[in-house]
Amino acid sequence: MVDLPLSDVRVLDLSWHVAGPYCTRVLGDYGADIVKVERPGQGDPARLMPPFFEDEPGIERSALFLHLNTNKRSIAIDLASEGGRETALRLAGWADVVIENFSPGTLDDLGLGYEALSAVNPAIVVTSISNYGQSGPYRDWKGSELTIWGMGGPMLYTGSPDREPLKTAGHTPAYQVGATAAAATNIALWGADASGEGDHLDVNFFETFMGLIDRRTTSLLNYQYTGETSGRPPAGQTPGSGIWPTGDDGFFFTTVVGPRWPAMAEMIGHPELLEDDNWLDPAWRGQEEPMAQFQALVGEWMRNHSKREIRQAVEDAGVYGGPVNTISELLTDPHFTERAFFQTIDHPTTGPQTYAGRTYRSSAHEWPPPPRQRAPLLGEHTDEILGETLGLDAAAIAGLRSTGAVS
Amino acid sequence: MTTGNGSGKRLPLEGIRILDFTVVWAGPYATQLLSEWGAEVIRVESTKFFPSTTRGGLARPSPELVRQGGSGGYPDYEPGDRPWNRAALFNVHARNKRSVTMDLTRPEGQEVFERLLKVSDGLIENNAPNTMDRAGVSWERISEINPRFILVRLPAFGLTGPYRAYRTFGSHMEAVSGHYSVFGYPGALADESGTSLLADPASGVSGAMAFMSGLRHRRRTGEGLQLECATAENFTGYLGEYILDYSMNGRLGGYRGNRDLVYAPQGVYPCAGEDRWLSISVGTDEEWRALCGVMGRDDLAADERFATPEARRAHHDDADTEILTWSIFQDPVEAMQQLQAAGVAAGAILNEADAYADPHLREREYFQTLEHPEAGAHEYPGVLWSAERTPNRLRHAAPRLGEDNEYVYKELLGYSDEEYAHFVETEHAGMDYDPSIP
Repeated sequence: MVDLPLSDVRVLDLSWHVAGPYCTRVLGDYGADIVKVERPGQGDPARLMPPFFEDEPGIERSALFLHLNTNKRSIAIDLASEGGRETALRLAGWADVVIENFSPGTLDDLGLGYEALSAVNPAIVVTSISNYGQSGPYRDWKGSELTIWGMGGPMLYTGSPDREPLKTAGHTPAYQVGATAAAATNIALWGADASGEGDHLDVNFFETFMGLIDRRTTSLLNYQYTGETSGRPPAGQTPGSGIWPTGDDGFFFTTVVGPRWPAMAEMIGHPELLEDDNWLDPAWRGQEEPMAQFQALVGEWMRNHSKREIRQAVEDAGVYGGPVNTISELLTDPHFTERAFFQTIDHPTTGPQTYAGRTYRSSAHEWPPPPRQRAPLLGEHTDEILGETLGLDAAAIAGLRSTGAVS
Repeated sequence: MTTGNGSGKRLPLEGIRILDFTVVWAGPYATQLLSEWGAEVIRVESTKFFPSTTRGGLARPSPELVRQGGSGGYPDYEPGDRPWNRAALFNVHARNKRSVTMDLTRPEGQEVFERLLKVSDGLIENNAPNTMDRAGVSWERISEINPRFILVRLPAFGLTGPYRAYRTFGSHMEAVSGHYSVFGYPGALADESGTSLLADPASGVSGAMAFMSGLRHRRRTGEGLQLECATAENFTGYLGEYILDYSMNGRLGGYRGNRDLVYAPQGVYPCAGEDRWLSISVGTDEEWRALCGVMGRDDLAADERFATPEARRAHHDDADTEILTWSIFQDPVEAMQQLQAAGVAAGAILNEADAYADPHLREREYFQTLEHPEAGAHEYPGVLWSAERTPNRLRHAAPRLGEDNEYVYKELLGYSDEEYAHFVETEHAGMDYDPSIP
């Protein structure tokens, strides 16, 4: 057992779908012991969210679930049953942290709200993740990742200026909420350890997105300062910036900040521009006509070079940028490969597959780290958790099983 | 100045001191979140060096550039005498933080830095690794000076590897991480969908997470730790199911635009006015009928093309057209309220004015007014999450460059008045960028 930074942290994971499980995945990557509670029968609904292994739906076949739930143990508990509720409270006594992302009020209705959990364990940190927060007029509103990202996030700034705003892909907004919840939990746990008094955190999609650094918060303050609202910028805002088709049928993304423009002009084989005072003036070359002229020169140069050649040239010129990788290119990208980032993890249904690697490296631990433990089968650790973790005897476990409280 | 929140309850990170070497957006977000919960965050800056895109785009932008918006926003478009203290780009994330200046390129500055390392718990940075090499920030050196130190590094691609020295912004890292192969309009090429902005905030929260984990490691082992979270690697974790889908099924994600594998129809629809939009996600037959009701289109509720989730998916384009012919006459915020009242997941794409007027954010007191001595009083996005038993508000506006020099040099590091005067005279401690900096 490797001693990781959170090896002494125990987590009762009542969460499902994406945001909560990503939160506990991050905690697990840092070494926390994660007990994932699932519904008997179908388990976490993410088990039935696409894409699936061989495109065939099944509760042990979802790529989304398998990615999100490494390093966790699964226990199937019917929280609506009396025995299930008691088992969950016992686990709250064992745990330092509870993570949940039910609709607000659901845990209270189950008799497992913060008051009930803290009565069992006063030092416990309960992190509630929700769409709009535990209070306020939108508390019970419906929402999808698209609609809440649209309300809260920087969506007015993403996508083409000629088209509708475009959401970032897949479940990336929910991942951000989960990652935020993990950091929030870690911070609150530090306080709870010191004071012996736990807390109940309200992390929600809407305010997490509204507080996203980069364009969202900067534009909010900019509006306060100037009264100006803003929209989607083109990828090429300055001469030399843009997403460019390359000679090997790929794309390369560059951003040229003013001081690097001369190096960019040299890079594309047009040093003669540097002898013209007009071109050296950022305001002049930023005008429509010269900019279009320069963009055409850059575009031509890009079409005559491969992504790898461009990468080297851009690095030498000190221009900001990077290749637009497909997922397959990412998996063979020389940088990710040399850093041994990806992990192969075996699984009884899917066999060995390639997973995104651990997102931190430390001075105290070897790299590459041992592969994560694969995502658990539904209820795979029910007996182990009841017996070894909670110390129940065989008769007690059989009793819980017979009533359907656990499975 | 106290770090209390006025409620009498301590914030969890009171007593933790973090040196902040962060630039642009990702790193500052990490220290912003930690400072919100009580850490004393001290930005270590220099009057001799202006990091781009941090305290504004340029130290001294011309009024013309400011009017064009070319250097971030300034109150009333006035850069003022010290533009670096008035930049929205900086002031939004530097609230609660302190600022000290020293010139690390001179040995005397390095001596000050060493003293600071001894009285601090950690340092967070997100620079190009060779920039930090030059500044004398390395785990080898720091762990010798303070073996209990937590050093969090958020390089773009990593402290090692072929892209180590690569210059890059967050949106480029998303390109490298594969995001732009799945973020796009259906049928578009990679250069037709604009850019996305999530890798930086993702990196920021990963930095806060790493720092806290380092603290726990230290408490348990008595030893410090360097933690490295490469922004590009961190963001691939947000794309994990695409990576597995390729590994399992050989599928490259492709572009779904704003559509979804579960909701149909789902999209972003134009509304009345300039750049006004409404997002809608329909999950169930009931929600579809509710949407039709709000649109006054009972005919669509009865239309077989839209009777089931499968049918709506098959006729998604038709559904989009029908919604658009209604949405184009609507105010998006009013339409959102109507649809939500009818039980439909809808969200207006809120611009800044909408956000500040939003009744939910208002009731939850999300925005908070801070008074800045050179930028005035303005409403800032507030503390990112709340804690039931630990009420928490922002404590003070962003520090002016070098605002806390006396506190740091004298109070923290124990320099005498004479010694401090010497640091001012030799331009380590100052509040103005060197006149040679544009």
